Amino acid sequence: MTAHPKISAELGEFLQSGLSIVLAVRDTNLRPDGAVAWAARVEPGGDRLTVFLHEDAARAMLTKLERHPEIAIDLDRPTTHRACQVKGRLVGARAARPDEEAVVFAQIESFAADLEVLGYPRTLSAAWTVWPCHALEVSVEQLFEQTPGPGTGGVLA
Amino acid sequence: MIRLESLTACFMGLIPAWLCTCSKDGVPNAAILSHVDYVDPKHVALSFQFFNKSKRNILENPQAMVRLLDPDTLQGYAMQLRFVRSETEGPLFESMRLRIEAIASYSGLKGIFKLLGADVYEVLSIDPIPWEPGLAPGLSPSGRTTEEGLPFTMRALSELSDRIHRAPTLDCLLDSILETIESLFGFRHAMILLAGDTPDRLELLASRGYPAGGVGSEVGFGEGIIGMVAEARKPIRVSGMLRQLLYAKAVGEHARAHGLCPDDRRIPLPGLAEPETQLGIPLLVRDELVGVLCVETDRDYRFHEEDRAYLEVLGGYLAIAIQNALLRERAHEGEALPPRPAVARAPVVSGRSKLRLEFFPKEETILVDGEYLVRGVPAKVLWKVLREREGDPTIEFTNRRLRLDRALGLPEFKDNLESRLILLRRRLEERCPEIRLVQSGRGRFRVEADAELSLVGG
Repeated sequence: MTAHPKISAELGEFLQSGLSIVLAVRDTNLRPDGAVAWAARVEPGGDRLTVFLHEDAARAMLTKLERHPEIAIDLDRPTTHRACQVKGRLVGARAARPDEEAVVFAQIESFAADLEVLGYPRTLSAAWTVWPCHALEVSVEQLFEQTPGPGTGGVLA
Repeated sequence: MIRLESLTACFMGLIPAWLCTCSKDGVPNAAILSHVDYVDPKHVALSFQFFNKSKRNILENPQAMVRLLDPDTLQGYAMQLRFVRSETEGPLFESMRLRIEAIASYSGLKGIFKLLGADVYEVLSIDPIPWEPGLAPGLSPSGRTTEEGLPFTMRALSELSDRIHRAPTLDCLLDSILETIESLFGFRHAMILLAGDTPDRLELLASRGYPAGGVGSEVGFGEGIIGMVAEARKPIRVSGMLRQLLYAKAVGEHARAHGLCPDDRRIPLPGLAEPETQLGIPLLVRDELVGVLCVETDRDYRFHEEDRAYLEVLGGYLAIAIQNALLRERAHEGEALPPRPAVARAPVVSGRSKLRLEFFPKEETILVDGEYLVRGVPAKVLWKVLREREGDPTIEFTNRRLRLDRALGLPEFKDNLESRLILLRRRLEERCPEIRLVQSGRGRFRVEADAELSLVGG
């Protein structure tokens, strides 16, 4: 059995720093779908990642994930384009807890500040439908370098 | 289904899109896209720059999902796509290639940051994303309403034509074009570059909206947006410049980390330090490139796809106007001219009572008090007229006589003398206002100096 990689402390810090987060899932006919997530949390041990997305988006993704748990999560910082793709499987889904709201909005604040550097006004982030969120917990099975360029797609760990 | 044409704002590249694909083994993949191009009412195109996981998935399983965000309303849309073909030539490929290579040339990444294919997808469905409803109707991210009309109208073109016809000389025409582009279309930063002495290079002859005019700055074919426009002879518009330059920077750093050594030479952006949008328009007369008009904005200006045809007409019109002005200058040499209208230019520092001018024949360059002034034909002309003026300070010069002087090395055909003299006059205004070329008639001028001139060399 192949050993799965673990998210290092340095990478974990990056993944939780307030990034552009996109999930990709698929249905039985291999038709892809996706949604935006607002925050990510690396669970102790570095072998699971929890992502927070609006409950309506989560429900739409779960209709596919319940039968096909494979999931890809792209995490990207717009100002540097440093990016990472986590691939794994859904291992749990639940409504986000009230104490997790602050975590989500802290990452959104950091992401919005990054976008502001690029000239995107705060009205962009003000239009986001964020809360209430669902938390999707994903097993980390593969980690890929996603920074654009010739080495994109290389295995990170 | 929502009509693809109704989403034109999503195809301007102002807000990145993202792409979801899936391998034949059922493993999904997500990727950020800098630009989605509209092809026709049923198709869009995505750039293929690197053979990445998305591309591999598409070759195995042609289904894709793209999420777009409308930059005006911030409403999200999900498009289900099916890969149809990859184009490696033709108009679609060219328009995408030019935009990408313009960014690449600014970043020293030509050859690495390039388009390998324009991947065309059939649009199977478009649905608004319920949990990304965007802003209240009528509002845009900047707080303005979205009902602003397009600046490009036939009426504006007609007015531009009228104003241009009133310009008595090429010199006035260039200023009139830039002034009119600001007053009619709202572009406060613009420049016109025309062919100079060196093949495959353009020289800046007129600019508006910049602290320093930069007359005489050169751009090689293929360098930046202006150079790419000159090379391809097609208009190019790049929106979200900062984001795209950062994307290219990330590619460059990644390329170096993988042992590739992109050209470190960077072409400085002419004009605004951080433009949000740049638009280059070729000035063409019967396939001959007269020059390039470049306009810039520091906000995310909404150029629409249909503006392209308008801009091509505008470029053709301006090119004919410039060429006609050149021909008129020659045909009516010696005629009296109306006084040149005052044009707002960057403030100049004047007041030197003595100037030391040095001419270096080998380099064809003139320095004033040790500072670079001008080179090439304009330098040789200035040296000639200053030397002759030493004997007779009131002497008048004509373009005709300059043309006959073989020492100036003007080509027999299309010598561009009029534009060389405009460059020289404006260069003096910017860098050495104590010396002036004063037009005393069409194709006729004299030299005035407020300082004692010491000519060295030559």
